[in-house]
Amino acid sequence: MAQIPNLDNAPLNLTSLREQSQKELLNILKNIRGKKCLVIDPKLGSSLSSIIQTSLLKLNLMKFICSNVHDDVSKGLQREYFVYFVPRRTVVCEKILEEENVYNLMTIGEYPLYIVPLDEDVLSFELDLAYKESQVDGDTSSLWHIAKAIHKLEFSFGVIPNVRAKGKASVRVADILNRMQAEEPVNSPDMVVPEINTLILLDREVDMVTPMLSQLTYEGLIDECLHVNNGSVELDASIMGLQQEGKKIKVPLNSSDKLFKEIRDLNFEVVVQILRQKATSMKQDYTEVTTTTQSVSELKDFVKKLNSLPEMTRHINLAQHLSTFTSKPAFLGQLDMEHTIVEAQSYDICFEYIEELIHKQEPLVNVLRLLILFSITSSGLPKKQFDYLRRELLHSYGFEHMATLNNLEKAGLLRKQESKSNWLTIKRALQLVVEDTDTANPNDIAYVFSGYAPLSIRLVQHAVRSGWRPIEEILKLLPGPHSETKRGRFSSSLSFDTLQASANIDKVADGRRSLVLVVFIGGITFAEISALRFLSAQEGMAYDLIVGTTKIVSGHSLAETFVERLG
Amino acid sequence: MANVSVAAEWQLLGDRYYRKPELYHPMQWRHIDLSRNKVACAPFGGPVALIRDDSKIVQLYSESALRKLRLFNSAGVSLSDVVWKNTGGRLIGLSWSDDHTLVCIVQDGTVYRYNVHAELIEPNLSILGHYFDENVVECVFWGNGVVCVTDTCKVFAVPDFKTRTVVRLADPPPPPPGELELELELPHCVAVIEPQYTLSGNVEVLLAIRDGVVMVEEDEVQALPVPPGDGPLQKMVVSGNGRFVAAFTHDGRLAVYSTRFEKMFEYQCESALPPEQLAWCGLDSVLLYWDDMLLMVGPSDEPVRYLYDEPIVLVPECDGVRILTNTSMEFLQLVPNSTVSIFKIGSTSPAALLYDALDHFDRRSAKADENLRLIRSSLPEAVEACVDAAGHEFDVSRQRTLLRAASYGQAFCSNFQRDRIQEMCKTLRVLNAVRNPEIGIPLSIQQYKLLTPSVLIGRLINAHRHLLALRISEYLGMNQEVVIMHWACSKITASLAIPDAALLEILLDKLRLCKGISYAAVSAHADKNGRRKLAAMLIEHEPRSSKQVPLLLSIGEEDTALMKATESGDTDLVYLVLFHIWQKKQPLEFFGMIQARMLARDLFITYARCYKHEFLKDFFLSNGQLQEVAFLLWKESWAKGKNPMASRGSPLHGPRIKLIEKAHSLFSETKEHTFESKAAEEHAKLIRMQHELEVTTKQAIFVDSSISDTIRTCIVLGNHRAAMKVKTEFKVSEKRWYWLKVFALATIRDWDALEKFSKEKRPPIGYRPFVEACIEADEKGEALKYIPKLADPRERAEFSGLMITHVKLIIAFIFLCLLAFLCSDWNGQGSC
Repeated sequence: MAQIPNLDNAPLNLTSLREQSQKELLNILKNIRGKKCLVIDPKLGSSLSSIIQTSLLKLNLMKFICSNVHDDVSKGLQREYFVYFVPRRTVVCEKILEEENVYNLMTIGEYPLYIVPLDEDVLSFELDLAYKESQVDGDTSSLWHIAKAIHKLEFSFGVIPNVRAKGKASVRVADILNRMQAEEPVNSPDMVVPEINTLILLDREVDMVTPMLSQLTYEGLIDECLHVNNGSVELDASIMGLQQEGKKIKVPLNSSDKLFKEIRDLNFEVVVQILRQKATSMKQDYTEVTTTTQSVSELKDFVKKLNSLPEMTRHINLAQHLSTFTSKPAFLGQLDMEHTIVEAQSYDICFEYIEELIHKQEPLVNVLRLLILFSITSSGLPKKQFDYLRRELLHSYGFEHMATLNNLEKAGLLRKQESKSNWLTIKRALQLVVEDTDTANPNDIAYVFSGYAPLSIRLVQHAVRSGWRPIEEILKLLPGPHSETKRGRFSSSLSFDTLQASANIDKVADGRRSLVLVVFIGGITFAEISALRFLSAQEGMAYDLIVGTTKIVSGHSLAETFVERLG
Repeated sequence: MANVSVAAEWQLLGDRYYRKPELYHPMQWRHIDLSRNKVACAPFGGPVALIRDDSKIVQLYSESALRKLRLFNSAGVSLSDVVWKNTGGRLIGLSWSDDHTLVCIVQDGTVYRYNVHAELIEPNLSILGHYFDENVVECVFWGNGVVCVTDTCKVFAVPDFKTRTVVRLADPPPPPPGELELELELPHCVAVIEPQYTLSGNVEVLLAIRDGVVMVEEDEVQALPVPPGDGPLQKMVVSGNGRFVAAFTHDGRLAVYSTRFEKMFEYQCESALPPEQLAWCGLDSVLLYWDDMLLMVGPSDEPVRYLYDEPIVLVPECDGVRILTNTSMEFLQLVPNSTVSIFKIGSTSPAALLYDALDHFDRRSAKADENLRLIRSSLPEAVEACVDAAGHEFDVSRQRTLLRAASYGQAFCSNFQRDRIQEMCKTLRVLNAVRNPEIGIPLSIQQYKLLTPSVLIGRLINAHRHLLALRISEYLGMNQEVVIMHWACSKITASLAIPDAALLEILLDKLRLCKGISYAAVSAHADKNGRRKLAAMLIEHEPRSSKQVPLLLSIGEEDTALMKATESGDTDLVYLVLFHIWQKKQPLEFFGMIQARMLARDLFITYARCYKHEFLKDFFLSNGQLQEVAFLLWKESWAKGKNPMASRGSPLHGPRIKLIEKAHSLFSETKEHTFESKAAEEHAKLIRMQHELEVTTKQAIFVDSSISDTIRTCIVLGNHRAAMKVKTEFKVSEKRWYWLKVFALATIRDWDALEKFSKEKRPPIGYRPFVEACIEADEKGEALKYIPKLADPRERAEFSGLMITHVKLIIAFIFLCLLAFLCSDWNGQGSC
């Protein structure tokens, strides 16, 4: 199966996007004559595998480059150095190269890779540190990059007429995007309807609850347990039923795999059932083939079914491996606790549970996830308990984690209580907790967390369905400002509440639905993507939804970015 | 008939007609005698430069003895003049380069360059460099370059005046030894083959030396085999396409060679005296000029003679030759085929008939229709010929008649490209506009196409004809940005007297005409002209921050630059400003500037955290953020811990602990950081304790582990007293203590000690830790000791069932195992 996702069925012409990136890379390589030794930022390497795919070259990397060059120079080696910055060269990196006296030794170029299509409906800007950088360091470089990426999309697909943003970073991105349009306008011919109708920008900060919860969709669970990296997981070969001891294999996970496409967004419980049904029906067919005489065409059908066998085997193996995680009492205990915290009714139980985790020196990131969840839903901890837990953390995991605590506090994820929590109001108003969720035949996005509807996706749901005006009071309770703007030639005509009505007019002539691009600044989880796909597939939905994100995250990877050792 | 009069002006050379329409008559200048002057005319109807020839003895009338360099357009309208005061000896040659720079070379090899406004373009260039005792005796120009020959027969070339590099070419061969007495043997004549026509891409110089010709290149000399009897050659000139050489031989013959000197053709002239001027007319004939006679020689035998009673200058063009005299400017060219077909006496071509038909039509004669019927089938080509002929016409009324004929014919043919006539009208309007004597650029249509409209516009703005340039570019649908930009810059240069605000208004008025124009570029120009305030006002209007910010920095508006960069959201720009200010200002001033600007401050901190620790500390100290300094110190302490060199000496008083203690005291300066302060204090204490433990246990496993880990390690090592000491020292809660000790004991599988510990007193967190620890160590028997003691009956049941809780998942798990087995079975069979 192809490692690179097949984009032919994408609602936007993403193939052209990918092809352009490929061409640009090849041009760079062609332009350098002679034998090359290609050194790629490891983060970039995995990204390149899916464009062949990015990340901002970071400051420390510059030091690394310099030390390598110095090393060569001291050995008297003469080489030509070409440094290509992805997606663009920056003053600060060049400054470092200059200060290290290697600037003159190298040819500097850039590879303008701003967007990587991860799947038919998922675009990634590959800015994995975006959330931490903007929340903790105040470095908003990523926002400019996001705006630039969206602006690039606009060059291909027309100016996006409606923009909704919630959260500080999102509003800023919308603002930068408007500036870019003013500085470097996209000239869209007047009569063509832009392919993307609405842009919804959401800060991860607006909803930090959802990513901290354990994802229960198939794809989400794989990420929680095995860490999906750029559309594939690495596993021991033995798990996949291969006889190679100790060898790792890469299992690609994208929509080119038909079975995966069918089950990736379902709740894991349901996935197990489906796999069982499929296996049973195949077994039945098998016994029929072996015991009764059958016509050639029936045999043909059977052989056709056999073609899907490798895919089935793969997912059965995977699912089996996952159940070894999900059946652990610790996992179940954690699920229980997550739901208790979200319910926000029994403060003491939660507090003691977390305290115990710390005492038992459970992995730090797991503790932090629950702690963040706890702090957010109760809008901080009372000073005494705040200091107590922090002290216990330092005692258990070492004083070097002072920096981690500091980061979390700066980002507002773990803090002292200053006001009463309004989580209960939000939860009730947006119906975040849904009782009696039927995970097999879901009628609400809550199925992805077995009873909790992700807050972020509820906001998208409202935005698409009726605009944000009806829930304005609730929006005000969430962090950051929100804004709604009309752009381009639509700026003067329609008002926002008529979006629904105008959707019919906006329908692209060939029967495709018009598009809503939902951009998560700070990352999105697989479970949320699944919920969006669920929304998109609902009857009466006027739009196709596609997702843009700085990076695909999980509670684990998100919490991990904040972990910093003073050392 | 009109047709006759047209053709009557033509001359036949071989089987081709030539004509010589007057472009300008009379010239706008007064009292100019070309013979008294050195003259340089730029091709493509460019300007004319005149300067009194200092190699001739001339009579001065009522004029200054100082020479004046005077520039005119092709119609003789004065553009500018300047008194020639340049040093370096006699003026050897002058010529216009492609970008209309007048290049003047004097004897000592200095090159002076002037623009069309007669302003000297600094710096001057010296061709001879350190060969200061030599003189230039001859120079030959082409496009943007020149070749000079010195009095010692060295050859120098400047391939491109823009790059201004001088190349010394190879020396021509010395005279044979027997003729040493002819010490100074200069070439009879020199010609160049332009780089664009040579194989090597470098200029090739042809020198007629003695009886032969040598070709000189950068590092190669090659003798070319001139047919015997032809040499020595008196004059040479290379054709416009660089493939032929026309030369005048010593015995009065005109010969045409290929550039390898294979003879193509020759003509015996009446005079053996070499002509004053020799020039190619297009590619079909060669012009020779003696005192009062101009001889045009073509491939056929009989040449054409023109008589002139005044001096002339031949200006070769791509499609003919312009002839400049004291009183007129003429254009000698081959009559275009379309024109011939219409106006040739007795022509019955369809085009001629169409032209005639129009004439009848105008006179309301029915013969018009008759003519049309005759040519019905070939009407399109007749129309095409009329359009084409109109294009080649210099006379406006004749252009009009021809176009009318074309449009008359077009009415009767359906399949003629309609916009052809329209296109031609457009082109002719442009040509007529620039041919106007006031502008004085007499381009033929062929030259115009070769020159391209954008170059023409470039020349117009260069001559400060902005309005016309703007109109033309508007008319042709071209981008007007170039014109407006140039206008704005020229305006700024020229308007020293206008106050900033007024000038800004004037500029903005025009700049608004063009969307997306770079205000930054105009602003940069204003700054270069010393109008900083105006520059600042202009840059305000630049919408692209990436252009705006660097410029603001260059005009010293750092504060505004920082603001704009921050607004743009482009952190790269903010960094740009940041580094700029950092470099320029005193640290304290720099700190002050970024302190109030959040983004700039945060970016600075991010950068400095990686690369400028000490400077960052200064920054935090300057604004009283002591806790941040404390964090930095704390961080450094870890770096010290990793570096073995730094931890020499007594660890107890080592630099590490000192740093942490310093951090502790800084934290305690402010009330808000009591937590951090305490933590630092404890940390220092912990490290001391760990050092002691390492000394007593002689194992280097304590330093840099956490308090909990330290306790665990102590218990695992069996050092319960030390563990207890750590516990009390850091006030470890009973709860944590129990978890740690239970797990530590389970790790070393000391089940007796564990049991003893459970009986010490009633554990503060119940017996669950004991059960969990045993189960984790896979000692179910041990676990059973504690399960009954659990307080919560649910927990009891849970552990009794040995962890099986989620029945659904377990069933699924078992099922999947079976299934996997099944599938592998199938795979096995499938491969059979």
